[in-house]
Amino acid sequence: MHSKTAKLFFVVVLFFVLTANSLCAQDAQSVLSGTVTDSAGKVVPNAKITVRNLSTGQSTETQSDSSGLYSVANLAAGDYEISASSEGMSGQPAKVTLTNGVPQTLTLVLTSAARQQSPASTPPPSENLPNAPSSSQTAPSLADLGFSKSETQSNAAQQALLDKRTHMLKIHQRMGLITTIPMVASVITSLNAGGRSEGTASRDLHVALGALTGDLYGITAYYAIRAPKIPGTETRGPIRFHKAMAWIHGPGMILTPILGAMAFSQKNNGEKVHGLAAAHGPVAIVTAGAFGAALLSVSLKF
Amino acid sequence: MNKNLLLVFLLFSLSNLFAADHQWVLKQSTLTYHVSHPLHQTDGVSHAARGKGVCHEGQCDFLIAVPVKSFDSGDSNRDLHMIQVTRGAEFPMVTVRTRLPESASGSATIKADLEIQFAGQTAHYNQVPFEVGSQGNEKKITGTIPTSLTDFKIDPPSLLTLPVKNEIPVHVEMIWTPQ
Repeated sequence: MHSKTAKLFFVVVLFFVLTANSLCAQDAQSVLSGTVTDSAGKVVPNAKITVRNLSTGQSTETQSDSSGLYSVANLAAGDYEISASSEGMSGQPAKVTLTNGVPQTLTLVLTSAARQQSPASTPPPSENLPNAPSSSQTAPSLADLGFSKSETQSNAAQQALLDKRTHMLKIHQRMGLITTIPMVASVITSLNAGGRSEGTASRDLHVALGALTGDLYGITAYYAIRAPKIPGTETRGPIRFHKAMAWIHGPGMILTPILGAMAFSQKNNGEKVHGLAAAHGPVAIVTAGAFGAALLSVSLKF
Repeated sequence: MNKNLLLVFLLFSLSNLFAADHQWVLKQSTLTYHVSHPLHQTDGVSHAARGKGVCHEGQCDFLIAVPVKSFDSGDSNRDLHMIQVTRGAEFPMVTVRTRLPESASGSATIKADLEIQFAGQTAHYNQVPFEVGSQGNEKKITGTIPTSLTDFKIDPPSLLTLPVKNEIPVHVEMIWTPQ
């Protein structure tokens, strides 16, 4: 009886030890995730991804979703070969080393058959450094630090949104710089375009430059207005002043040519510029000033 | 019976062998990157780093991680642009790993080999010097990591068509507390 109790005790203890080890092993498994894109950076949905463990030969297959994202969970530590393919596109397999519990991200770039798949992966830790990061079982993992999933999860859709935003704002910035050239020229030619001058050549040049400024300004404004907004972002810093200035130079850029057309008409009729049209010059100066201030607010720190 | 008990004892002993001796936890941190542009000098600051150090057999493995989005340069437009160029939505975390001897906590300076994962790339920095100060049980670590954009294959962002400098040093101030 005493011996039976001891055996039962032994079996129970052994069960708990083995169960605990098994649970720890599950916690330590890694997740491989990332995005499948083409060579232009466009996401590739429904691509077939094969993850093969090089030591066991065991393969796991998955598909990228509509955003080009893929994820393979419960992968044991070790060396893996990842290959991806889609209709008309393929790439050479990429290799990654997974360490216990450390999520890995791998971007798979698919190209035409002649090109190679280039992984933007995180290579395994260097082992030749004197005090290089350890791959021991005691090394902490990202999961130990308590970050939320939303903080650590890759978001390819938001990256695409940010890429589009930056692309559009770069054009906005360049067009804004280009717009300053005819704008300054318009201000300079305005000295001979109005007042007591009776010649039409300088007035025509002023009108042409003004029209060019208006067109370029329209394109500049389009790229700022149509640039995607990033949800949850509060506007802070000099960009607030830059945006506030748009409420001055925006209406100013609409009003200035209207008043200019009225002044042009009065001048062509041999009249002295009068009434509302007389505000053309001051409105144009305020508009150009606000435009310049908007430009400087993001160029210089003050 | 004695053999069975011995086996159980051995199993427990083996489990204990893999257990950590002690740990360090990052209590407080300030990470500051510095960007140089012909028209601007900008600093981006984050206090959101979390870290842990696990010591075993005289060696401590440290991991520090910080969300890319947590850096604040004082301008939301610039911060969004930085997240874009560093592919911060796709690779949302910066992680730093290092291994130090346990005795390093008693030194006034340490030199650490760092492995930094950022923007989908991994870069190694050898023998980065840090100063170690003591505040009771806690340790204050300060130093600068000489990171650059090319280390992480990041295209230099530009303003008014002028690109920023390649060097983006990151100043680190951390307070670690033992557990």
